[in-house]
Amino acid sequence: MNSNFYHTLLLSGVALLLSGCQSLSTKEQSIISTAKGSEKEFLITVTRPNTTLHVIDLQKNEVIRQCDLPAGPGPGTLVMSPDNSIVYILTDHFSEIYGVNIDNCDVVFSTQQSTDNIRVKSIASIAISPDGKEIYTHQNRVKMMSDHYQMLPPQIAVFDTSAGLKVKTSRTFDAPRQIATMDTLESGELVMGGQDIFLMDMHSGKYKVILPSLNDVQPGYSAKDVLTVWQMGKVNNEFYRMYSRAKYNGKEGDLSNAEYIWGHEVVNLKTGEAQAKDFGPLKGVLFTSIRRPGQLNRVYGTLNDLNEYDSITKKLIRSVDLPHTYYCINFSHDGSKIYLSGALDSVAVYDPDTLKKLAHIKLTGDGSMSTSIIFKRKG
Amino acid sequence: MKHLKAINSKAHKVNEALKNDDLDEVMAMQSPVGCTATTDPGWEVDMFGSVSGLCQPMEADLYGCSDPCWWPAQVPDMMNTYPDWSKNADSATKDWRNLESVYPEEKE
Repeated sequence: MNSNFYHTLLLSGVALLLSGCQSLSTKEQSIISTAKGSEKEFLITVTRPNTTLHVIDLQKNEVIRQCDLPAGPGPGTLVMSPDNSIVYILTDHFSEIYGVNIDNCDVVFSTQQSTDNIRVKSIASIAISPDGKEIYTHQNRVKMMSDHYQMLPPQIAVFDTSAGLKVKTSRTFDAPRQIATMDTLESGELVMGGQDIFLMDMHSGKYKVILPSLNDVQPGYSAKDVLTVWQMGKVNNEFYRMYSRAKYNGKEGDLSNAEYIWGHEVVNLKTGEAQAKDFGPLKGVLFTSIRRPGQLNRVYGTLNDLNEYDSITKKLIRSVDLPHTYYCINFSHDGSKIYLSGALDSVAVYDPDTLKKLAHIKLTGDGSMSTSIIFKRKG
Repeated sequence: MKHLKAINSKAHKVNEALKNDDLDEVMAMQSPVGCTATTDPGWEVDMFGSVSGLCQPMEADLYGCSDPCWWPAQVPDMMNTYPDWSKNADSATKDWRNLESVYPEEKE
């Protein structure tokens, strides 16, 4: 770690005592914007204690800034403003969104999702409108009475990002249950990943299924199973999630002779086109996968192993053991480096051509189920 | 339920719900209390009945299970009931000694 890192840590501790939120010196503030005229790539992720934001320079593989938020952990799902200046985090025990200026760690936005005796939880479901003016969450609501709880219908909530702190919803729409990941099309509609993949018009609130998943019944196959709390397709401008399913080789429903398959469901955020495709054999557990930018038929997945698949031949090409579990996989925009994060306290950098480890970026605390976001900024 | 025997009050209520065809009510409670009632393999054995698919080391998965109340029978529910459980253990691999057992509060 360089001196900037320790300087940042020191400042972080002092500022946390004062306000729970870190402010940095003018010198520190200029770190992200020193490369005038050239674009640099950065990664942001979140770890304990509480909610600590790490800004990592991917040219140097160094943490250049830490921001400590006055919020408890979980899940640490991130979205970025269109100008890449403010990161929005779903955190504080799945309860609230915080918007943080990454140049100075100022908290410029927060929500107040729970009101009176109605408790709201959002399971990794956060998205931002293409113009950055609105944040969307999927709200699971419960009315907490003194002697019983009453489940309320779930809804999509809209928040005005210019409204400051402890912002309440500006409008809401009825929504399907079990939405866990979201993103927006360039045209503004909201993509929602739940039992199926839905698209919502954010003016009328009307929604429809654009890609059946649980309801995609195909002869010879089991229903799809989806573990989806990480939307990792952003670097390819797509909404992305994995599924697994069994292909019956004998009688319908006979799992003893079935083979298990990984596949992915992809929504192009520019065109809205949605498609599902098997990409390889299921030999072990994966939590996230991603398509390689520039070579979208190459799919990489992580948990205890880092695997590479060819989605054309549907074969596993390469696999390496990881030093420990990483939940979350991401890619540089040019497809030249893989970044693993989440679970424990580091970001690992891998070469997608060889699956050799290139770098290890040490963090503090524990990343748990937080996502990572990679973006470019000009000076 | 042929091979399972209810031994606590919650399990008895599930049995009662089954008799009265009210199982949907029990299922619905998973959401308001913020916890899953699942006993799916995953913490002890992986989807293949083995252990190689479990997170390595187990501490890597500890907060990934307690933060979202994934397996509340195995680790405390940090989403609702015990939000400060990891307060003195920012790193599960280094600070695990500071993680304590939790117990339901006494009913008045």
